[in-house]
Amino acid sequence: MKYHLISLGCQMNLSDTERVNTVLHQMGFSQTEDENEASVLGVIACSVRQKAIDKVYARISKWNRMKNRKNLITFVSGCILPSDNERFLKLFDLVFPMSDLPQLPEMISHYGIVTQAGLNYQNIERESIKPTLTQNNPKPSLFQPLTVPFSNPENIKLNPGKNIEQFWNVEPTHTSDFEVFIPIQNGCDKFCTFCAVPYTRGREVSRSSAEIMDELRTLVDKGFKSITLLGQNVNSYGLDKKGEEITFPELLRQIGEFGNQSGKEFWVYFTSPHPRDMNDDVIEVISHYQCLAKQIHLPMQSGDDHVLLRMNRKHSMEKYRQIVFSIRRLIPEATLFTDIIVGFTGETDEQFDNTRKAMSEFEFNMAYIAQYSVRPGAASSRWEDDVPKETKKARYHILTDELTKHSIKFNNLLIGKTLRVLVRGYDRKEGYLSALTEGKIVVRFESENKNLIGNFVDITIQKATPLSIEGELAEQMVTQTIVV
Amino acid sequence: MSNDNLHDLLSITHLTDSAYILKMSRRGLQFRAGQHILLGKAGSIHNREYSIYSGDTEDFIEVLVKEVEDGLVSKQLKKSKPGEKMQIEGPLGFFTIEPELIKTAKFLFIATGSGIAPFHSFANSYPDINYKVLHGIRHGNEAYGKKDFDAEKYISCTSGDKSGDYHGRVTDYIKQHPVTPDSHCYLCGNFNMIHEVFDLLEQQSVHPDQIHAEVYF
Repeated sequence: MKYHLISLGCQMNLSDTERVNTVLHQMGFSQTEDENEASVLGVIACSVRQKAIDKVYARISKWNRMKNRKNLITFVSGCILPSDNERFLKLFDLVFPMSDLPQLPEMISHYGIVTQAGLNYQNIERESIKPTLTQNNPKPSLFQPLTVPFSNPENIKLNPGKNIEQFWNVEPTHTSDFEVFIPIQNGCDKFCTFCAVPYTRGREVSRSSAEIMDELRTLVDKGFKSITLLGQNVNSYGLDKKGEEITFPELLRQIGEFGNQSGKEFWVYFTSPHPRDMNDDVIEVISHYQCLAKQIHLPMQSGDDHVLLRMNRKHSMEKYRQIVFSIRRLIPEATLFTDIIVGFTGETDEQFDNTRKAMSEFEFNMAYIAQYSVRPGAASSRWEDDVPKETKKARYHILTDELTKHSIKFNNLLIGKTLRVLVRGYDRKEGYLSALTEGKIVVRFESENKNLIGNFVDITIQKATPLSIEGELAEQMVTQTIVV
Repeated sequence: MSNDNLHDLLSITHLTDSAYILKMSRRGLQFRAGQHILLGKAGSIHNREYSIYSGDTEDFIEVLVKEVEDGLVSKQLKKSKPGEKMQIEGPLGFFTIEPELIKTAKFLFIATGSGIAPFHSFANSYPDINYKVLHGIRHGNEAYGKKDFDAEKYISCTSGDKSGDYHGRVTDYIKQHPVTPDSHCYLCGNFNMIHEVFDLLEQQSVHPDQIHAEVYF
């Protein structure tokens, strides 16, 4: 039996998808890219933009039409707003928060697909799902499906992140042999007005540091080279446990100590931190340990205090400036990435110009610049989206030009240097491989040796473009390698 | 469903046609004055953020709700009856006062409408706090909780009539009564007021680090 799974959205959803794959594989399903071959069809939804939600509606509409000629089970999970949840309940057979993933075999088995995993689950009391089954149809099956969806509003928890611990216990099915995510936290307490995550993923919940360290050790032993700690606000890690869990700097320190002892070469990243909770402890610990990558992604969103207030970001530009100053002082070799939204509700020319000036001041290596669009469910969706599209586009181009100016300046300084890089795959340019430096600068070099993919090599840089660099494999006897 | 965050609704007090106070059992919920909760009716998947209105020493928890036209949760909550279960998440938020400042600093609280809620909580939690509160409202009947503040420290600024302590907007008041730079200013309410006041305070030499804002939306 086969399943077809569509994953929309961010790295967190991709990471979640790896765990969904595990559960379905354990049930005996194999994955297919062709939805026509599948008997189980699922979506890991994203609510960040309306477009992503529209995709879910388009897909379920097609799948429900397919049900006229084939028996299918459909499910949706991931980031779902309460309002969409209610609609999805009428469209999908199964709607469940990610924290209920371990119960998926039981849910599917109640539809009549018998698998070993499902049989095992049938003997377990699951209060959260029993009432719906008994109310609506005591003997549902794939050939006589339930007339209403399995899940109902009573079972959709007010806090969708609750019980996330049982989800983290599911071992992920990794899609790469050398790059991997480790979720360390779920949910968000910050309530930025442009973002719906607090309403889709619930409150911040930190994963046990013992579990995180176990997973990290296992992954390093297996040879993973690039490990990213994931969370909506990673640097508030542990704070929800009120003293019963270590803090984020301490977690990084433990990882650093393990890195020193392991004798293995690997880089650990984290994304994304919130400026409010960023402090010198985090920056200092990164500077001390080799395995903690010297790359920091610090979302700025706007360079204007008024816009930051409207975004409910809970930090000022002064605070942001202090953090960047600390990064430059303690880790001068670190690359700095950011996120920016242009054209947020009410953003004036003057306020935008402050963002442009901040771009110039901080000289980011990379900026993910988004033109503001209303995100359904976010607080700002109640405000008029009053900056014209053309203005947003123009501001986007101004910032892109600013970014390019600084990144090319930085990249030019790398010419002639030999950098350690992790080879990720074939480049679009024929005959070349693509890699990333520790600071996540894209590098291409001439080689078709597929054995290099997933390994560290040294590259001597020869050319620079605004957002990438090019070089050649260094001689075997490289005496000095610098970190960038 | 876990019932560890369910609280009994003790009473509902209607202040105006559209503003009301929900009083709920506290059940040991620990919070700091200025924080907010996510509140919804038990069993509903919908909830909203509301600042805590009551003080941190009370054995109940209160929120001040302004009914939103075309809103969902504020209308649902308005129909609630005492004895019903309410679901609370939290407390959340950072709109709080550092403990070392409570007895030493001078505070100016500036609110519009139901943005008075966290300041009501401040005043009731910290009886010795040195504060003045400016409450921007349209009419005098919207001076929610006025009686609970020290009369000499509360100034209602009414823009729609002359029934308040001052006729005009809070920004007008601040222009006429400049703020001393040593004040710690807390702003809560709609963001237009917050932006205008933020600019005024900066012009009056209040350091941005001493300006704290909670935007209502």
